[in-house]
Amino acid sequence: MSPKVVPWAVVAATLLGAVWFAAAMTVGGDRSALLIGETTDAHHQIEIACETCHAAPAFASAARAEKALNRGCRRCHDKELKAADDSHPRKKFRNPRMAAYWEKLDARLCTSCHVEHRPEITRVGAVTVAMDFCVACHSEGDQDVRADRPSHAGLGFETCASAGCHNYHDNRALYEKFLVRHAGEPWLAAVPVHEASARQRSRKPPSRAALARSDAIAPEAALADPAWLDRWAGSGHAAAGVNCGACHAPKSGKNATREKILARWVDAPGTAVCEDCHRPQARTFVLGRHGMRRHPRVAKPRNPLRQLRRIGLSQVVPDEVASWLADAAPPTTMTVAEARIPMRPDAAHRALDCGTCHTPHAVDTARAAVEACASCHDDSHTRAYFDSPHYALWRAELAGEASPGTGVSCATCHMPGTGRRNRIATDHNQNDNLRPNEKMIRPVCLDCHGLGFSLNALADAALVGRNFKGTPAVRVESIDWAKKRAATGKRETGG
Amino acid sequence: MPMLTFTEEILLLLGDEEGMFLPVEEHAFECALAGAVLMDLAFAYRIDTDLEALVTIDPTPTGNPMLDRVLAKIAARAGTTDTRTWVGVLSREDAAILREQALANLVERGILEKRDERFLWAFGAVRYPTIDDGAERGIKARIEEVLSDDIPHPRDVALISLVDACEILPDLFPDRDVASFGPRIALLRKMDLIGREVAGTIAEIQRTVVREARARAERFQKLLLILSACGGLAVAATLLSPPIPLADRFGPGLLESLWYDRVWKQWSGYLLLGLSLAGLGIAVAVKKRLVARIAGSHGWRLFHIALGIACVLVLFAHTGFRFGANMNTALMGFFVAALLSGALAGAAIGGTPRLRKMGVRRTGRHNRALIGLHAIAICPLPALLIVHVLTVYLY
Repeated sequence: MSPKVVPWAVVAATLLGAVWFAAAMTVGGDRSALLIGETTDAHHQIEIACETCHAAPAFASAARAEKALNRGCRRCHDKELKAADDSHPRKKFRNPRMAAYWEKLDARLCTSCHVEHRPEITRVGAVTVAMDFCVACHSEGDQDVRADRPSHAGLGFETCASAGCHNYHDNRALYEKFLVRHAGEPWLAAVPVHEASARQRSRKPPSRAALARSDAIAPEAALADPAWLDRWAGSGHAAAGVNCGACHAPKSGKNATREKILARWVDAPGTAVCEDCHRPQARTFVLGRHGMRRHPRVAKPRNPLRQLRRIGLSQVVPDEVASWLADAAPPTTMTVAEARIPMRPDAAHRALDCGTCHTPHAVDTARAAVEACASCHDDSHTRAYFDSPHYALWRAELAGEASPGTGVSCATCHMPGTGRRNRIATDHNQNDNLRPNEKMIRPVCLDCHGLGFSLNALADAALVGRNFKGTPAVRVESIDWAKKRAATGKRETGG
Repeated sequence: MPMLTFTEEILLLLGDEEGMFLPVEEHAFECALAGAVLMDLAFAYRIDTDLEALVTIDPTPTGNPMLDRVLAKIAARAGTTDTRTWVGVLSREDAAILREQALANLVERGILEKRDERFLWAFGAVRYPTIDDGAERGIKARIEEVLSDDIPHPRDVALISLVDACEILPDLFPDRDVASFGPRIALLRKMDLIGREVAGTIAEIQRTVVREARARAERFQKLLLILSACGGLAVAATLLSPPIPLADRFGPGLLESLWYDRVWKQWSGYLLLGLSLAGLGIAVAVKKRLVARIAGSHGWRLFHIALGIACVLVLFAHTGFRFGANMNTALMGFFVAALLSGALAGAAIGGTPRLRKMGVRRTGRHNRALIGLHAIAICPLPALLIVHVLTVYLY
């Protein structure tokens, strides 16, 4: 090849590349090469569904684009923030009286503190401003925390959120009144039982509906495998009267005849059959990292024909070319290999859906609560669990040596049951109480431990790494300060 | 076959083995051609000259279109004009045509070969490598003979005066002690030979012009070397140094504002785009000789390098020399490659005289390779920049 051809070839190749990128941006196609920086751990699974966050029309003004971006944040996170009794809700800062603070840190916008694709400045909790950001509003005027709190006089603002005392959004376990009320609690409750777990595990299905091995309705080939049958017969499904057809022939309807079930038999039904019955679990599953790709708010792949119509090129570009430009369909499940935390190499191929943790047919919740987690996760916290007092309690409960709810599995802390009375459902959003970890105190820790111990334990990163084997080496002083402040008759907040 | 003209001979002597021209400053090169064509006319008894005036003594065409064009121009000028003025006029107005005509004659005679190595309309060059070096060897042999003790022919004395005026003897005889030729050249100047006065006058005038031009060229090359080295060091330092840590304190910091504030980013981005376009425009304009008449090419070339340094600074302000991811990495990669190769090419061209003094030959090939690399690194930038700007406005 003549040397003169090289520059022309480079120009031609880059022009072709530019046309391809322009088409990918405006019509359809894989846009992963356009990502300007690594997406945070929170959103990397949905990063190719750009419109989930970037919802503004093309060439919208910067202000409009930012508004759309923030609307995207709120669409997914608003409920969670509301449930957390957000300490800094957007509505508080929309008040014109707060205008003086907008210049310092515009708390009306999520993007003031959380900007995507900037790995070099992304800190814990996907925060992209310096961690002493409280200084913006709480260092002067009537919001100056040091003015009426002598205990805070010598504290740096970088310690507000890192010392286990405050969070920007969720302070449910840190309100002064709550701290005072739980002051002086022993480290371990007299009866250490996680109530929701106890209710879940002591719940028995009605025995009159229970099905036996011989009641199974399935094709001969399926019935010929005793392992499948045994697993089903010992499962909660059989105990609750759920026959094979409920999952393998969902379209046959309730009380269907054997013939109808066999006629509509599906060997490998999808997760939709699980979701049909386990709606609360399915609803929370898509809120966590395990299932967020199925979240209904995640943008669907673009339709290239519609995109072409929008930019007035539908008559110019043939349909065949347009269909060639279609968006890559985002995978509906996350694989273990895509995780950004230490995972077991032998689990890399696994895709996360209901059957990953709940073995089909057996649907053993005890396995799903511990072994299923440890079969993929390989971080120090997980490995240390099997040498922890929590695991010893779990084994004792499984062995029937301790009452239900005394054992602490992975799910006890990370996927606690929620609901009232007997309608307790496991929260399948395992991220719900994970960060900041004080979120775990109210629904989990306090059932067995005192607040002071819980705060100290969760603030001790090394102890968390050892899965709470040992005693906290960190002491969070907020309870003492709150008590002292209460004793002086100052205002207490929250509860 | 008619003998070679001075213009053709001087072109042959100024050409190097790679078909480029010896690093004689551009204006000196043009003066050499102007002087050579005047000598040709003097030896053809068409003009006479002294320090005061250049007059036409016979306006009859010589039969060589190249010489006749100049003769007609001189004959057409009313009044008396001195030789210095004519050297200036011809070097300014006719040097390019003289060069093309002389090169065409040499190609026609089968001495040189024309090789068009331009690419992307503006970059690269047309080279004239020698395919029959007999003529060039003959000229060099004649000069060598005259510089020894042989009885010289007036044409050879004139040629030596021209070569001496152009100060290219060291390049023609790199293995010889050129300083030892000094007394012999001085003696030749005193010899009473036909045409000596004419050639001597022209050569004397030319010597001053060439020296001035050579001094300018040396200043330019020194500046080019310094500026290019600064640019290269700036790029290398920012690439090799560890990332600059951002203050972990809340509040507006200069670097945070530069790198993360949308308005600052937009300004620095457009400034970078403007500087890049200006740099590219100047390069093309210099290469296509569109600006040389305004302020000469040296100033523009230095300005091009200065724009490159400004690009390094603004690129730092825009990105902090972070390469980003995916398409942005490609854009940054090509941009930095363009800056670095440009700086290296500038330093190599600026350092060529020093390298030659150190005995390094064939520097032109390396310089051309670096310029080629610079051009290739620039090629993808327009497309990548368009995509980059689009992503900013679409997302």
